Amino acid sequence: MKAIGLVLLLVVGALAGPAQAQTVNVYTAWPESLSQPIFKAYTAKTGVPINFIRLSTGELVARATAERGNPRADVIWGAPGDGFAAAKEAGLIEPYRPPTWDKIPAELRDREGYYTAVAKNTLIFMSNAKLLKEKNLKAPTSWMDLLDPAYKGQIQTADARTSGTALTRILSIYYAFGKDEDRAFDYQKKLHKNVQVYTKSGGGCTVPAALGQAMVCIAHMPDAMEAKKKGYDMVVTFPKEGVAAVIEGVALVKGAKNREAATKFIDWTFSQDMQDLLDKHDVYMLPTLPGASVDAAVAALMKEAKLLPVDLEWVGKNRKRLVDRWVNEVIRD
Amino acid sequence: MTVRARDPIVVPAVALVWALVLLFVLYPLGRLLVLTFWNGGPSLDAVRGLVGDWTHRAALVNSLVLAALVGIAGTALGFAFALLGVRANLPGWLRRGVDAVVLLPLISPPFTAAIALIFALGPRGLISYHVFGLTGVTIYGLWGTLLSETLTYFPVAYLTLKAVLANIDPNLEDAGFSLGARRWHVFATVTVPLATPGLANAFLLVSAASLADFATPLILGGTKFPVLPTQAFLQITGLYDMRGGAALCFLLLVPALAVFVGQRWWVERRGGSFVTVTGKAGAATRGKSLSPAAIVALGALCGIVVLLVLVCYGLIAAASIVRGLGADNSLSLAHYAHVFSGGLKAVRDTLFIAILCMPMGGLFAVVLGFLVARTRFPGRRTLEFAAMLNYALPGTIVGIAYLLAFNDPPLALTGTAFILVVCYVFRYSLAGTRATTAVLAQIDPAIEEASASLGARRDVTFRRVVLPLVRPALLAGMTVLFIRAMTAISATIFLVSLSWSLVTVRILEGITNLELGQASAFSMLVIALVYAAVVLATLAMRRLSAGQLGQAGSLLGG
Repeated sequence: MKAIGLVLLLVVGALAGPAQAQTVNVYTAWPESLSQPIFKAYTAKTGVPINFIRLSTGELVARATAERGNPRADVIWGAPGDGFAAAKEAGLIEPYRPPTWDKIPAELRDREGYYTAVAKNTLIFMSNAKLLKEKNLKAPTSWMDLLDPAYKGQIQTADARTSGTALTRILSIYYAFGKDEDRAFDYQKKLHKNVQVYTKSGGGCTVPAALGQAMVCIAHMPDAMEAKKKGYDMVVTFPKEGVAAVIEGVALVKGAKNREAATKFIDWTFSQDMQDLLDKHDVYMLPTLPGASVDAAVAALMKEAKLLPVDLEWVGKNRKRLVDRWVNEVIRD
Repeated sequence: MTVRARDPIVVPAVALVWALVLLFVLYPLGRLLVLTFWNGGPSLDAVRGLVGDWTHRAALVNSLVLAALVGIAGTALGFAFALLGVRANLPGWLRRGVDAVVLLPLISPPFTAAIALIFALGPRGLISYHVFGLTGVTIYGLWGTLLSETLTYFPVAYLTLKAVLANIDPNLEDAGFSLGARRWHVFATVTVPLATPGLANAFLLVSAASLADFATPLILGGTKFPVLPTQAFLQITGLYDMRGGAALCFLLLVPALAVFVGQRWWVERRGGSFVTVTGKAGAATRGKSLSPAAIVALGALCGIVVLLVLVCYGLIAAASIVRGLGADNSLSLAHYAHVFSGGLKAVRDTLFIAILCMPMGGLFAVVLGFLVARTRFPGRRTLEFAAMLNYALPGTIVGIAYLLAFNDPPLALTGTAFILVVCYVFRYSLAGTRATTAVLAQIDPAIEEASASLGARRDVTFRRVVLPLVRPALLAGMTVLFIRAMTAISATIFLVSLSWSLVTVRILEGITNLELGQASAFSMLVIALVYAAVVLATLAMRRLSAGQLGQAGSLLGG
């Protein structure tokens, strides 16, 4: 058995092979359908292949943490900002400022340059049009609308302990209630009574809402736009009190093996060329470089939205406390 | 009668198995323990934040309740199917058909089963709403999770129990009948007691799988029914607290140990012999331990389960051949076109790894099972328990432990396919090991002694006598391993590399990215591949060994 094991080890070792010299290894939280066209565009332009693995934000940070002694990724590309706050604290990333860094608005980048936002991701309500009609309801346009008993057991949204989407929701409510945390949590306790289930992935309510298992899903813009693109009859609305947007960051991994190639790729990420691709490839997020083109459908929808400013630093310091409060006050029946 | 430790073949075999378990089970967990409980010195600060949290306390209780319920329900259901398959004299085509259907939930990636169940029994489910017109159905919580996990894991019990039941010579039951006992009495005093090791193993396998399962409660548990694996997952991936998450996972080992010790005690307390396979074969007889009424009752129960599974997977099949389920129901092969173009590498990689796992894991399982059941050496129980640690822990934490242990030279295995192979072998061999010990418990050691007294060396006896006798167990073990290698996700997500992509990762991505069609097409392909592999393995095993051992030689009944 030992001999078999050794032979297999050799065979496998040979098959796995050494990495190519000029490549960039990327961990991303964006689905392949969103990230791959962009990476391919870079390879087409420069000839440098991008190897990537798609993981959820938390898995990505956990993986990078366990690999810290011998990093396998060069760049973390496209993951919600709170993941980067954690990565920075754990010493997994190092500061890097691309040439266009100064043009990116200050609230969209880490002050010390550890991470910079490639895109902004807005919170939305998406409702199943058929179910709304059946119950003779209008799509919700206020946080208060969601408290209507007609929505009882009909709302799905993300568990606060998952990263990204849920945090955007909690922040949206916090800022919509004028930063009055107690009122914001009182509201969430009431909202809880109408929630069917809290999903454990950010966009986890998209499929149930699209297929009519729930009427309203509170998620991010790309979730809703993808559903519409697939032909599901979904209505996208915003609460008039306002919503927050999270940043989708990019950072250089500390000790990256292909540092030079990695920084060039980051430079390109914040160029006008690449920022225009977000529109061209239907990423449905907002570019962060001023002047980059915005998806027409998203732009039209965003006219209805009141975007509330988010204080990144405050979020980094208070996220855990907000989540604890949610666990102990909101979902505790 | 068992082999003594000084047997010249046993000593190196024990040493080798111990070495492998040390390297690929205990070392990674040790690294994780250090990370969790060492902070410049022994430290419990990783646990401190967890104790006060009510969700963690609820999760511990819920995990235990769920594992017990799934263990009981899964074992009972598996026993019902095994009885029907082995003792009801059903026509071959029906047995094969039922076998093929009940394997579906086990074969498909875990996320698929839970999602399919929502489509079937959710608030607007096909069965709950469209057939029965029920509204306000809740699938989220204990009942949904229990149902989904039972459906997913009872086939493991079924496979184990089928091999065990097939080895119980109907002549033994006949003896009961000729002594004037009624059917129920024979069943309760002959069949069930003889199947005890199998029942205990099935319970262990099913409840341990439930303890470690995070995919099902992740989708169906919701906030009202937290369980430890999902809590650990949230702690690590949502709160970026790897140490706290690891501590929660170690907590899971307590119930796992309890189940392990409990099933030992249950089997050994009876003290009796479970030997049913001796050199002395009676005349072939047809089982008649089931009354027609019992067959009808069992048939009805199994029929409902088969129907439910068929509906769930019918929905998945449907999703794979329409443009967008529920939005545009026109037929289209676009999803399969995608699978066979962009997804082909993932399919190839997955198959390669799964096929590598089969012989390695199968051999490891049988050798370990044999050592545990037939030899006496110090630390035997410890070895047996150590070998099942990776199975009892949630995949997330096993994946992280492997990363910690095998990312740095000289053991830099990350990035290779090898790390995936060893992870699967040492995580999913348990079914093969348990099946081997269960089957060996039924086989009279006199058969091996006869071989030895004829002058055969121990390795020859192992190869020529033991291996053919445990063939059903070996086959069951390799099949389960292949299936798990094709469908595993939670540990995999940490071990897939830039050069090795796997189908399950693509399926998970498809589901989270509203690519239901693609995810379903990938799932259908995995199912087809697993069936093909099972059939091939069955044929190969049949040709390789001369000795026949009842109808248990085949997993799919024929």
